[in-house]
Amino acid sequence: MSLLWEVAKLAMQRQLTYRAATLAGLLTNFFFGLLRAAVLVALFGTSQEVAGLTIQGAITYTGLTQAVIAYLSFFGWFEVMDSVYSGEIASALLKPMSYFSFWLGQDLGRALVNFTLRGLTIMGLYALVFDLTVPTHFSQWLALLATLILSWLVSFSWRFLVNLSAFWTPNARGIGRFAFGLTWVLSGFLMPLRFFPEWFIKLCNLTPFPSMINTVVEIYLGVLESHEVIQALLVQGLWVVILVVAAHLILRAGTHRLVIQGG
Amino acid sequence: MSDMISATDLKKHFVLHRHRPGFIGAVRNLITREHRLIRAVDGVNFHIECGEFVGYLGPNGAGKSTTLKMLTGLLVPTSGELLVNGRVPWRERQVHVGEIGAVFGQRTTLWWDLPVIDSLELLRHIYHIPADRFRKNLQEFRDLLELDHFLHTPVRALSLGERMRADLCAALLHDPRLLFLDEPTIGLDVVAKERIRQFIRHINLERGTTILLTTHDISDVEKLCKRVMIIDRGRLLYDGLLDKLHQRFGGNRQLVVDFGEIYEDVHVDGAQVTEQVGTRVTYHFERGTVTASELIGRLSSRFRIRDLEVREPDVEDTIRRIYEEQLLVRG
Repeated sequence: MSLLWEVAKLAMQRQLTYRAATLAGLLTNFFFGLLRAAVLVALFGTSQEVAGLTIQGAITYTGLTQAVIAYLSFFGWFEVMDSVYSGEIASALLKPMSYFSFWLGQDLGRALVNFTLRGLTIMGLYALVFDLTVPTHFSQWLALLATLILSWLVSFSWRFLVNLSAFWTPNARGIGRFAFGLTWVLSGFLMPLRFFPEWFIKLCNLTPFPSMINTVVEIYLGVLESHEVIQALLVQGLWVVILVVAAHLILRAGTHRLVIQGG
Repeated sequence: MSDMISATDLKKHFVLHRHRPGFIGAVRNLITREHRLIRAVDGVNFHIECGEFVGYLGPNGAGKSTTLKMLTGLLVPTSGELLVNGRVPWRERQVHVGEIGAVFGQRTTLWWDLPVIDSLELLRHIYHIPADRFRKNLQEFRDLLELDHFLHTPVRALSLGERMRADLCAALLHDPRLLFLDEPTIGLDVVAKERIRQFIRHINLERGTTILLTTHDISDVEKLCKRVMIIDRGRLLYDGLLDKLHQRFGGNRQLVVDFGEIYEDVHVDGAQVTEQVGTRVTYHFERGTVTASELIGRLSSRFRIRDLEVREPDVEDTIRRIYEEQLLVRG
């Protein structure tokens, strides 16, 4: 556990050196957030509520989804893949540490920096422009903290799994892009899942994707009953377990057929 | 003494997909694929004892790196038995790599964009090195490898020689019993090479660390190792003392003589004249048929000699001859 934290600390330190990239990313996310808010406001027209979501909630939704982009590496993450292709994976495998934890620690550091510098900042900027929904109860904040941690774990394990395809194919970027694109739609990132037809929501709920974003949004907005909150957190937890176990099994199979590239 | 490494009939075969050239070829590749079996390591046997310093030589693609990757637990052998430090490397990778050190000259294990010291500190946690042990080792390596002036520089800003020294330090902080060095002096200038060799020798002698060194630079081996293993095309061609290699395959020794004046006939029994430029004459003579002193005796009785020099055949030549003429190919 302390080792994970040490790795995370180094990753944070490293992430903090990319100042210009952080600022540029922040501004882009904010700008697109405003655009998306404008589209949703137009969609609402004169109605006060659509699918149980108020217009204020819908605007907050765009802010939230823009805020999570960076800390969940939502636009794609190919680092493990790249290290397999460059042969750098050898250095990591030469250390007495689980390969999964090695990346988990690094992603934790990266996520913490991005959550603070980009996530919280975007919500702050949003609050300057819009009247946002804010959780009112302490229990809601507590649930929010839990769901944020769980969503990161689901997201990381999924991204790690997708990257493991590099062990089987000499170019897994296409697979990665497809997989991450799928995440956009099925997680409730493009549109709140509530806006979709019932059958589509049911389909999504069979996948881990709503656990990455939709659950966070719904808990923040307070549209769930308290027993639904508990249920949503349990579902997230279940996906963490399933994906982590899958990642370990596939990783083991992958390292056994590993071909280290280069001399 | 006990075995640190024992490899029995060790093999690693890879299947390569052959890509047919051209467009038609690419379409055919979609339907059927041609496979080619690469026998990177093909039945290798050897034992290395604790505390030994062994050189592992071979031309590019001979199977050196593949062997090393199996020994470090990165690759799973196709067949054969392998015990390193009492363990099957790939089966217990995490425990195994905790007790070995490895430097792959062309790669760094340090974090590219962070200062060296930060990477070293992280290694302390990864290897669970006790704090006082870590401090003591770091202090020793700082002195021996002269790390002080770049300890706080990001790795990407280091020169190749500095990076190599930092990597050596990183590989040894946890007191590994066994150290793998893959081309540790590649691309370095003479001074930097020498410094690294001195350090490696020191580690082997003072700490008793078993070292397996692969290199292209024959002078590394000449200066450091008593024993060499030579691999080519996946098979071990030679395993024994470096001196014996000379004796068996070293071919001719040379005697270069600078005469006091120009002689017409400089022929002498037991040696052949291979070059004659002015007063300087080069003789080749075979080990075993005549000794250098006999030859010098014969020459000095007939000619006035100003200066002379006996040249041993260098290992590089010897090894090149072994590769090229396949002197060691077994039936």
